[in-house]
Amino acid sequence: MNPDFIKTICPYCGVGCGLVLKVEDGKVVGTYPDKEHPVSRGTLCIKGWSAHQFVHHADRLKTPLVKRGDTFEKISWDDAIALAVEKLQSTAARYGGDAIGGLSSAKCTNEENYLFQKMIRMAFKTNNVDHCARLCHAPTAVGMGQTTGSGAMTNSISDLAGAECILIIGSNAAESHPIIMGEIYKAADRGAAVVVVDPRKTAVAENAQVHLRINPGTDIPLLCGMMRHIIDEGLHNEKFIHDRMEGFDELKTFLRSWPVERAAKECGIAEEEIRRVAEMYARAKDAAAVYCMGITQHACGTANVHAVCDLAMLCGQIGKTFSGVYPLRGQNNVQGACDMGALPNVYPGYQSVSVPAVKEKFEKAWGRELSAKPGLTVTEMIGSAGKDIRALYIMAENPALSDPDVNHVLESLTKLDFLIVQDIFLTETAKFADLVLPAVCFAEKTGTYTNTERRFQLLRKAVEPPGEAKGDFEIICLLANALGLDFPYKHPGEVMEEIAKLVPEYGGIRFDRLEKAGLQWPCPDLKHEGTRFLHDVQFTRGKGLFIVPAYTPPFETPDGEYPYWLSTGRMFAHYHTGTMTRRSAFLSREMEGAYAEMHPEDAIKAGIREGDRIRITSRRGSIVTAARITKRVARGSVFAPFHFTEARANILTNPVLDPISKIPEFKACAARIEKEPHEKHER
Amino acid sequence: MLEKVKEIARTVLAEKQADGVLGLMKGQWDIIQPHIFESPVEVDALVIEPKWLLAKMAMTVLRSSREGYRLAVVVRGCDERALTELVKRNQIEKERLVTIGIACTAEQAQACICDRPYPQKLDCGDAVAGVDPFSIESVKELLAGDGPARMEKWANILKRCIKCYGCRNSCPICVCVPCKLEDQVWVETGVIPAEVLSYHLIRAFHLSDTCVACGACQEACPVNIPLMALQLSMREMLRETYGYDAGLDPERNSPILYDLCKEPAAGQALPDWVNSLRKDDES
Ligand code: SF4
Ligand code: SF4
Ligand code: SF4
Repeated sequence: MNPDFIKTICPYCGVGCGLVLKVEDGKVVGTYPDKEHPVSRGTLCIKGWSAHQFVHHADRLKTPLVKRGDTFEKISWDDAIALAVEKLQSTAARYGGDAIGGLSSAKCTNEENYLFQKMIRMAFKTNNVDHCARLCHAPTAVGMGQTTGSGAMTNSISDLAGAECILIIGSNAAESHPIIMGEIYKAADRGAAVVVVDPRKTAVAENAQVHLRINPGTDIPLLCGMMRHIIDEGLHNEKFIHDRMEGFDELKTFLRSWPVERAAKECGIAEEEIRRVAEMYARAKDAAAVYCMGITQHACGTANVHAVCDLAMLCGQIGKTFSGVYPLRGQNNVQGACDMGALPNVYPGYQSVSVPAVKEKFEKAWGRELSAKPGLTVTEMIGSAGKDIRALYIMAENPALSDPDVNHVLESLTKLDFLIVQDIFLTETAKFADLVLPAVCFAEKTGTYTNTERRFQLLRKAVEPPGEAKGDFEIICLLANALGLDFPYKHPGEVMEEIAKLVPEYGGIRFDRLEKAGLQWPCPDLKHEGTRFLHDVQFTRGKGLFIVPAYTPPFETPDGEYPYWLSTGRMFAHYHTGTMTRRSAFLSREMEGAYAEMHPEDAIKAGIREGDRIRITSRRGSIVTAARITKRVARGSVFAPFHFTEARANILTNPVLDPISKIPEFKACAARIEKEPHEKHER
Repeated sequence: MLEKVKEIARTVLAEKQADGVLGLMKGQWDIIQPHIFESPVEVDALVIEPKWLLAKMAMTVLRSSREGYRLAVVVRGCDERALTELVKRNQIEKERLVTIGIACTAEQAQACICDRPYPQKLDCGDAVAGVDPFSIESVKELLAGDGPARMEKWANILKRCIKCYGCRNSCPICVCVPCKLEDQVWVETGVIPAEVLSYHLIRAFHLSDTCVACGACQEACPVNIPLMALQLSMREMLRETYGYDAGLDPERNSPILYDLCKEPAAGQALPDWVNSLRKDDES
């Protein structure tokens, strides 16, 4: 048999690059970049190039498994579905539907997310459905939703290349969204000013014109200082504010309390620098603000997002090409999972569950009574496991590595009456499951993903699943039908048509229209070509709203006992909990094991050398990892990637939540570092 | 022109000159991707745009196909040169390869700064004049200055590298297993940017005498590093010193390995180990 080439979409990050998979004898044997892809245009990052490598890994789950005692036993699909139905129904009967929770997945397709939330909402009359967006861009969804009316990236990735000034706050795009860097460098080569705000000297910072190395968690002071200076100098866009905004007076009054001097002191940046950067941004014809986890993963994450939006709106840098606000979404389909209503407070298309007219609309469409009460978030569901939540159904998520304070997460998982985990590998989370359902990976399914620039893209099935594994789509339908619902879907395209009917913004999305370039929502009808940038003549919410950013410093700060700032994040060769990348030979070769970065001066003081085993301890637990000595981190700081199961950085992180969006503060907590004696080998 | 390519492809298949034709296909929903055409009817869907190098794919296809399988490839000038080099380096058996050569447009030649935008064996289209890359301002600028100045300039450019390995993966001639870039003795793992000397210059030098100026490396670079300028200057040296152009003459081996002992450049003294190559050459 000759090889076949199948175009599809990268399963890793939200850039959504185009891949061409090479298939030989029913196996994916290679990945090539898609020359025609509108975003990646024939390029990929190291993860994209390696996307095929985990697909046929020996560890893939091939049959449903049931936990008997401490071990798993194979069972048939019929038995597995019957068991799931029995447990879920008896739990719901005994404790009520709100005792059931569902974690949907930013790794799964739009259609799967739609069906997942529909099933949970219909079958159990609960809104307890959420997914890992809670841990990354929940503050964006809420914060940008409040200020602009839409929690999505305002412009397109390619717009960055045309900006005159690009402000990058808390995003290490060079490692986390590498393909986007190309557009940023194009702008730089045309003379644009690139300003990076980050406590770490990341690869992005290395290549920037200005790097503001702020103290951890002081984004709001910096942005307030900038805004204050802009207003003082009269550089704000009065016409834009007058015509299109509301709430300016409140913001202006508030900014009186943030003179540049105070901002400078708080964030550890010289006053002149703050002024200079403020002017660079404000004077640019088109200025873009890019941000990521450095903004959102704080206990004041939503307020951080408000501050970024405020700055953009103050200067009228929104609602036109080459400008805008760019929250870079993490997972391949985290945008889509949010869009499809895998959130506890909204149905698909961000339609609120507590608005009676909306609820009625969905009740009518779905033919079941639904709950008006917003459900629990990821962190709340796990926190109340064994109490309010008795049974949990997790589709392709791995909270045992991804959530803060994982020791506590693991303890919670054991308290559940019943845990179903549906995944492609026996993840750290799946090990705690009572029932494991084998699902399929990106190369084995058809459907759509929505990338960070709101682009619906087609995923094409290249190979058959291993063993008896079934697509998440099929599993949800099986389970839903067994639960007494009517899920007659044969093909994801039918689901997309149903979605298009329920969400006006996606009204024009159909599989056969996604062709080679996909479509960027809003796309209201079949003639519509999609939307390159939002808030054109008016904001989605009508007028834009300035919101006074409520600053709270990081909850935990270094002290005598825990003298270091700890932050967590990604590194370029691995992805999130490593379930896929660490099973990819080329990627594990590039980075085999866990490490943490610390500053040379701190290392000398502690007698630690490159590669030494070190123990990092926080109030929640400790991990042993390898020291990487580098000036990338500031003195007194330590950075640990969270990909590695043998040294789970999230054992250390603080589960304190942003009160509005409920995101945990991953980016700042206090820790202690000790050299680990040689002879001792953990794990 | 496209019709002519299709006609040739159909003939190649009908006459069994090859078992398959590797080219681009416009399939369902107008999606364009590489494809192996195995029947003349299928060839209706063949297209020749965009530029999409197929040489490396051809090599892997031939490697994993059954013995005696013959593959025809629709090639532009660069693709043909790459295939020639792969044959010379024993990566492809000549007898199993057929080419259908197409000429590039003037715009394409300009975009690629290609000085030979047509294959030696031209089957379709008219050859247009090439572009002298060294007449291009940006290339001149990249190569200007003395050693230290150039080093500084390039270090700044290469600092953007995100270590995707795309330049290596996409290069049709970059085929060594194991690859030196994966050798931890030379290249530190797990950090970006990749180091200038050990990563970028090893890659560039390893291809100095095989590079066919196809531009695939540069096209695959997500952060727009002008990698071609590095390769072109080395190609130019070989051309000046030895009159050697990789990919043109299927019979002539690289002067770096072979001609060095036969026709050293003027004033060049050869080290003793060069003798060991002689035997190789004669046997
Ligand atoms: S940038 Fe993101 S989508 Fe693109 S190849 Fe890398 S991981 Fe995949
Ligand atoms: S080095 Fe670059 S230009 Fe030269 S053959 Fe390889 S990919 Fe083509
Ligand atoms: S293609 Fe570009 S970014 Fe990728 S490794 Fe090569 S030089 Fe670096």
